[in-house]
Amino acid sequence: MRSVQMEHISYTYPTGTKALHDISLEIEEGSTVALLGANGAGKSTLMDLLLGWKHSQGIKLFDKPLSSYGRKELGRCMALVPQSENYNFSFTLLDYTLFGRAPYLSEMGSPTENDVDIAYEALKEVGLASYAKRSITSLSGGEHQLLLLSRAIAQQSKVLLLDEPTSALDPANRQKVMKILEHLHEQKKTLIFTTHDANLAYELATHVAMLKQGNLLCFGTKEEVVTTEMLTTLYETKMTVCSIGEKTLIY
Amino acid sequence: MNSSIYKQEQKRNRIILLLLCFILLVLSFLFLFAGRYPKGGFTFVKNLSENSMMKNIIVNVRLPRILLAIMAGAILSAAGFTFQMLFSNPLVEPGFLGVSQGAAFGAALVIVAGSGSSIMIQLSASFFGLLALGSSYFLAKKFRFGGWLLRLVLSGIAISAIFSSGLGVIKLVAEPTKDLQDITFWMMGGLWNSNWNQIFSIIPIVVFCLLVIYSYRWKLNLLSLQEKTAYSVGLNPKRDRTILLLVATIGTTLTISITGLIGWVGLIMPHLSRKLFGSDSKAALPGSMVMGALFLLLCDTIGRTVLATEIPIGLLTSFIGATIFIIILSLRHQEGKA
Repeated sequence: MRSVQMEHISYTYPTGTKALHDISLEIEEGSTVALLGANGAGKSTLMDLLLGWKHSQGIKLFDKPLSSYGRKELGRCMALVPQSENYNFSFTLLDYTLFGRAPYLSEMGSPTENDVDIAYEALKEVGLASYAKRSITSLSGGEHQLLLLSRAIAQQSKVLLLDEPTSALDPANRQKVMKILEHLHEQKKTLIFTTHDANLAYELATHVAMLKQGNLLCFGTKEEVVTTEMLTTLYETKMTVCSIGEKTLIY
Repeated sequence: MNSSIYKQEQKRNRIILLLLCFILLVLSFLFLFAGRYPKGGFTFVKNLSENSMMKNIIVNVRLPRILLAIMAGAILSAAGFTFQMLFSNPLVEPGFLGVSQGAAFGAALVIVAGSGSSIMIQLSASFFGLLALGSSYFLAKKFRFGGWLLRLVLSGIAISAIFSSGLGVIKLVAEPTKDLQDITFWMMGGLWNSNWNQIFSIIPIVVFCLLVIYSYRWKLNLLSLQEKTAYSVGLNPKRDRTILLLVATIGTTLTISITGLIGWVGLIMPHLSRKLFGSDSKAALPGSMVMGALFLLLCDTIGRTVLATEIPIGLLTSFIGATIFIIILSLRHQEGKA
């Protein structure tokens, strides 16, 4: 089943700047897709369109037009993991993870015991359950990223949109996040993430969409599209893809 | 660790809130007998029906005043709490978008124009308070600089400055022996003019504003996040923010149109409430409302009893509020957390 379908998507900012031009792609349920490109290629704009934050005709989610989804219904289908978040109040990790339960609550409702149990499970999944009552202001950068993931996991949606999920992490935390994402992939979640790191895209994704100056350069399985030629065209600099044993290294 | 700990905390918060409500009720009752008649301090009357003067003072002077103090404290702290969450900034209050300066300008304008009836002051203060909010909002939309919150902050500063200079001009031309004094007293805040007519004229709208804010108590948490994150968990952040900004501003302007400017309540009470109940606004918002009501009730009672002449409540809230603020900031620095 297709979880996301885009047909001839274009987007121009109110200032007149063209961000995306004629993008078409289909994402199968359970696949992990990297939106790969240089800064300003249109990755974040495409993510905003998928989220419904910016509007464009021609996007379907589970074969239903995105525009026909209600807000809460959309929140139950798709979760966002932003790059960072406002942390100006000392919410506990549990408070913050519970925010992911909002699409399941009534208009003015608040979390139930069942929601609390789900939030604890999400915290357990990212390895933060023992810190559930700690303040989010006391977390390290890596723990913040894990917390963002736990909120999205508590949302129990089929599709997760991740904006540069490992860009500000040290190698240890990067590995932690990647393991969690691999685990989510095993649970048949559809993961769509933006990155400019070709190694990460190759390591994590099943499919890669390369974006260059608002155009879709190519889309396919990573083995098909992540090649020396395509990457060199994408970044306009000499790139090399080489295999060492079972590993693939891009530099 | 499991959900039972969360349940225990919720129970603890409910007990503290009920305790605060009980203290508020007891103090409200006790303060009915505090004042300067028949002598300074507390005077308990055994048989009220036999003392018509005392009965009249309690029913028509002290009771409406106590109710107004409770209502004003609750709405000012609720509005402050709301602004802090919406702007994701624990250092803002309704004056932030020029609301207080707009209301002050409106009240001064009516006083100088000569039709200084309380209803006209109420209407004019409310109108200009809302005008300030609307101007800040639309100006922020016109700005082509920074994010939405930064633009709102900048437009709020600009609108406040415009109304402040307008207020300065009014004070300059005001008749010094009466109008200027009235304006000065209004700006210092006070509940000495409170009566049942005033209470009834604002109570339906203020209570409505309080109920709307209260109904958003958990959702306010989500509205403190980035707008895109709030949207991604199923909210309509633009609609919710607009509703909350409107009710918080209307409640504030209506109240200060009667009480005059009362500062610091909306800034300090949410902080104290978060210290006591935690940052989850589901508990901290109602806590802030009750604590604001208690704070203003105490300040007003002190203001009307300790000296032979009344101390304007705005002066007391500023002095006590600023002291608490310094203590909170010092403690926060030591704790090293927000």
